[in-house]
Amino acid sequence: MQSVARRLSSTASRRGFATTSAAFQAAPLEKPVLNKTFKIYRWNPDEPAKKPELQSYTIDLNQTGPMILDALIKIKNEMDPTLTFRRSCREGICGSCAMNIEGRNTLACLCRIDRNPAKESKIYPLPHMYIVKDLVPDLTYFYKQYKSIEPYLQNDNPPPQGEFLQSPEDRKKLDGMYECILCACCSTSCPSYWWNQDEYLGPATLMQAYRWLADSRDAAGAKRREKLQNEMSVFRCHTIFNCSRTCPKGLNPAAAIAKIKLELSAE
Amino acid sequence: MSPRSGLQKDVMSLYRRALRMVRTKPAETRPKFALFVRYTFHHNAAVVSPRNFSFIEHQLRQGKKQLEMYENPSIKDCFLSTDMLKWAEDEHRSR
Repeated sequence: MQSVARRLSSTASRRGFATTSAAFQAAPLEKPVLNKTFKIYRWNPDEPAKKPELQSYTIDLNQTGPMILDALIKIKNEMDPTLTFRRSCREGICGSCAMNIEGRNTLACLCRIDRNPAKESKIYPLPHMYIVKDLVPDLTYFYKQYKSIEPYLQNDNPPPQGEFLQSPEDRKKLDGMYECILCACCSTSCPSYWWNQDEYLGPATLMQAYRWLADSRDAAGAKRREKLQNEMSVFRCHTIFNCSRTCPKGLNPAAAIAKIKLELSAE
Repeated sequence: MSPRSGLQKDVMSLYRRALRMVRTKPAETRPKFALFVRYTFHHNAAVVSPRNFSFIEHQLRQGKKQLEMYENPSIKDCFLSTDMLKWAEDEHRSR
């Protein structure tokens, strides 16, 4: 009995995890090298004498993930740790990695790399924003504008018990607006916002303004409309539609602004 | 002395606002804030050429942001780095 147990344990120790010898294993597929050049906007505030410039990086696309963000992370990890950009969720829900890729504002994590190696990909920060460093824009003012529309439920008469109730139809009015992640792609693509950033609220903020105007539970509609009722806040929108075209979440800020305009002019 | 340019006025008004911020702080930490403000201005002015307007504007924006944070009444103390203390000592000695 004892000898059987010993024999079993000795065979077990001889047979490890990889039992197939290398000769019988499938050889890993060798992918060809597919080099592509990325030109990335660089500016470092620690070197005030140097002007902003485009820096080229060439990476092998077959060793990279499919999205621009994967390429940026690969460059930062393997080639140049000083490259600076914002990123967080890598799946288009946080809105951190908004940047101008090939002339279009979008999220780097939702933008596929164009696999044509002959063409260089150019990556810039969001246009017409002050730059903190490299691809990081200063969004302080954008957030201040968002704060100015008081983006929270205002109602002084809460129901005696339980929560505010809403009919499915009323809830449906918020679809296409509540999904906004405030990545600032739309606002920074709007020429009107470029020239009047200090007074015009911009598509992202206006869509959120309408999200609260359209909410059946909110009671501060009159106050909210009063605030928007001037020449600059809303009516600087000239229906250019860059916002709807660029939105990486497929939302339609221009429609929301049109509805605000309708409400304001009906008053 | 020729009249100050718009940018110079902006810098001076930011400096004034920063010094006013110091006065709102509790008496014990006021010297620390004062040294912090003075060092930050002198240090940032030294790294940049007076002709590099775009960078001075960048510094102004960063300074405004930083100052807005320090103006918060709940901030009652600040950290002084060894560089700042050394700078203060050198300045005191040269006087």
